[in-house]
Amino acid sequence: MNPTPKQRIWMYEAMLKSRLFDEAVFAAYWEGKKPLFHMGKGPLPGEMHQSFGQEPTAVGVCAHLGPDDAVGAGHRPHHVAIARGVDLKRMAAELFGKKTGLSGGRGGHMHLYDNRVNFFSSGIIAEGMGPGAGMALARKMQKKPGIAVAFNGDGAVNQGAFHEVMNMAALWKLPFICVIEDNKYAVSVTTRESTVVQAWQRAAAYDCPGEYVKGNDPDLIFAAAGRAIQHARDGKGPAILELETERLHGHFIGDSAGYRAKEEVAAQQDPLPLYRKRLLDEQVLSAADLASLESQVKQEVGAAMEYGRESEYPAPQEALERVFARGPTGRAKI
Amino acid sequence: MTQQAPDTGGSARTLTMARAGREAVIAEMRKDPNIFVIGEDVAKLGGVFGTTVGMAEEFGAGRVIDTPISETGFIGIATGAAMAGMRPIVEIAFVDFIGVCFNAIFNFAAKTHYMSGGQFKVPMTLMIGYGGGYNDAAQHSQCLVATLAHVPGIRIVTPADAYDAKGLMHSCLQDDNLTIWMVHKAIWGLGWLGTAIKTAMATVPEEPYAIPFGKARIWREGNDVTLVGYGITVHHALQAAEKLAAEGISAEVLDLRTIVPMDREAIMKSVRKTGRVVVADEDYMNCGVTAEVLATIAERDPRVLTAPAIRVANPDIPVPFSRPMENFALPDADKIVAAAKTTLQSSC
Amino acid sequence: MTDITVPQDLWDNDDEGVIFAWIYADGAVVEQGRLIAELTVEKAQLELIAPASGRLRILAPAETIVRKGTVIGRIEPL
Repeated sequence: MNPTPKQRIWMYEAMLKSRLFDEAVFAAYWEGKKPLFHMGKGPLPGEMHQSFGQEPTAVGVCAHLGPDDAVGAGHRPHHVAIARGVDLKRMAAELFGKKTGLSGGRGGHMHLYDNRVNFFSSGIIAEGMGPGAGMALARKMQKKPGIAVAFNGDGAVNQGAFHEVMNMAALWKLPFICVIEDNKYAVSVTTRESTVVQAWQRAAAYDCPGEYVKGNDPDLIFAAAGRAIQHARDGKGPAILELETERLHGHFIGDSAGYRAKEEVAAQQDPLPLYRKRLLDEQVLSAADLASLESQVKQEVGAAMEYGRESEYPAPQEALERVFARGPTGRAKI
Repeated sequence: MTQQAPDTGGSARTLTMARAGREAVIAEMRKDPNIFVIGEDVAKLGGVFGTTVGMAEEFGAGRVIDTPISETGFIGIATGAAMAGMRPIVEIAFVDFIGVCFNAIFNFAAKTHYMSGGQFKVPMTLMIGYGGGYNDAAQHSQCLVATLAHVPGIRIVTPADAYDAKGLMHSCLQDDNLTIWMVHKAIWGLGWLGTAIKTAMATVPEEPYAIPFGKARIWREGNDVTLVGYGITVHHALQAAEKLAAEGISAEVLDLRTIVPMDREAIMKSVRKTGRVVVADEDYMNCGVTAEVLATIAERDPRVLTAPAIRVANPDIPVPFSRPMENFALPDADKIVAAAKTTLQSSC
Repeated sequence: MTDITVPQDLWDNDDEGVIFAWIYADGAVVEQGRLIAELTVEKAQLELIAPASGRLRILAPAETIVRKGTVIGRIEPL
């Protein structure tokens, strides 16, 4: 299953949007944090896990998804959220902790939720597995179309939740795809050091398809994701899709990744310029159209960041709201 | 990585809590070959908070073990090793992660000595970072001290400075039970988590020393109101005491130092003197450590109080991400000052 | 007398660092090879080792911003 020219252009656009967003966030993050790096300072406080290099995994998978589907991501969610179509302005505002953010500033960068596109993310490793499969279960129970996808890192496969949920998803033939982004590092620990058999091979234990895609190539990922997702849509149950990718920066901003060999880091390839060149070489679109698209994306990202900066902070006491959903008696109280 | 010259009893050193705790661990590991460290990113990285820097180099991969992200698995493994004579130190960098291994901690490690009628000991120490204040949001800013303290079978210490960090770590490692050594992230002494709390650094002797469990510490004596805290709230209370002193109010700052067992006599001794108490805790308010302190007073002698007690704690909400909301939620010196003044204005 | 200089190989790039803390007080007797200060550069917490034995003189207190090559103290002979 190969992507159409339109889909390929969409994938490049989404990757570029993610990249430019992460670049803008990177620049803003450092404001107020030099020379003394204090995480709580500056307009973008807290931890920040960026997706440089991992953009292909999100677009190759999300290109197949529609409004009936659901997506969960982990502590490195930006590329997935953007590929999924999360509101970019409100996402930026959430990172800035503003009232206009997706969660009104309550969640922050690791806890992005957008119910318009059935998207959620969690900062606890492998936390997306259960809820992701649960969204698949609901669709099955409600006899509604749609599948659920949970994005996990290579480290997440060693959490108990991975095994427990895959077993149940397979047992109950849930329309659920477990995507593993193998960027080869769980902070400082490599996949080889943590995992005795590569996770996609565990699919045999769950009697479901498992596939590993090398190369961090959007077109190859698109093809494999198409197979896995069709399997789920056909009612045949879950699948494991493990995707080789590259973490081009450290684990989070501020991590110099000194534990990685310099030669290894130098050998990493950035998927974005590679794909851009391929689209031009194969004449998927003209240089002029590409320039126009890039300019558009740049504008959109700029507008989103400005929205984030200019928006107001919530009032401090708003912290007390939204713990519970409103009940029949009206206003929710703690 | 540096090699420290052998101890020769040199000049006084001011250390961070991270370094002091690490010094205790290294000293004990040099003495006892049964002690090993296990956890995520402890070997190659030296710990996300620098708790194990240099240890893999000194003791080798066999005694400083990097694990997969499998908390339930490796807590269980460490427990079994402890039951069979080893003395593991398990690092859980963020207390929030106990969620994925709470069963292994509270149902097995904490209860095995009891359920076996004393046949099996679990000499295991968990090394845990907790707390917020730097916008790490709901899943990385919790304290959960009360959650852990609530279950029988666990000894819990919360040093508030480098001197106590080292002394309490020695006690934890020498104890034959499940012990948890917990440090608030903002007072580890890591620049990237905030350097504001300089009072957490302290002069630390080179030689080992053990601070007993169940002994609170008075950081500042006073007569008008008792400010009870642990971890970071000790430092907030110290700042509050300074501000109160400027207004002629004499506050006593009491550091619980160990949560389990709690030094209830020290609490009573202080409130008998002052008659007023403010308890400050960054953990959630409901059913918390603050409540345990007040229950102690109510049970032993509520008549010592001349005004209603006040608790300053995180309201019962997840820790918000956005800065104004997080600042609203977390305790600080000003909130403690306001509470102390309220106790002086009211009476019962 | 020996200068205490922020070593050129203490970190990789040309970023500024900050003196996080001095382990010993001004005037303390220190030993060559021992840790005497901690510096932070971005998220890294780095160690500064005494280049000589003698009496420590602190020229740049904690929270001073430094670059590689900055002289932050001296060790005087006893």
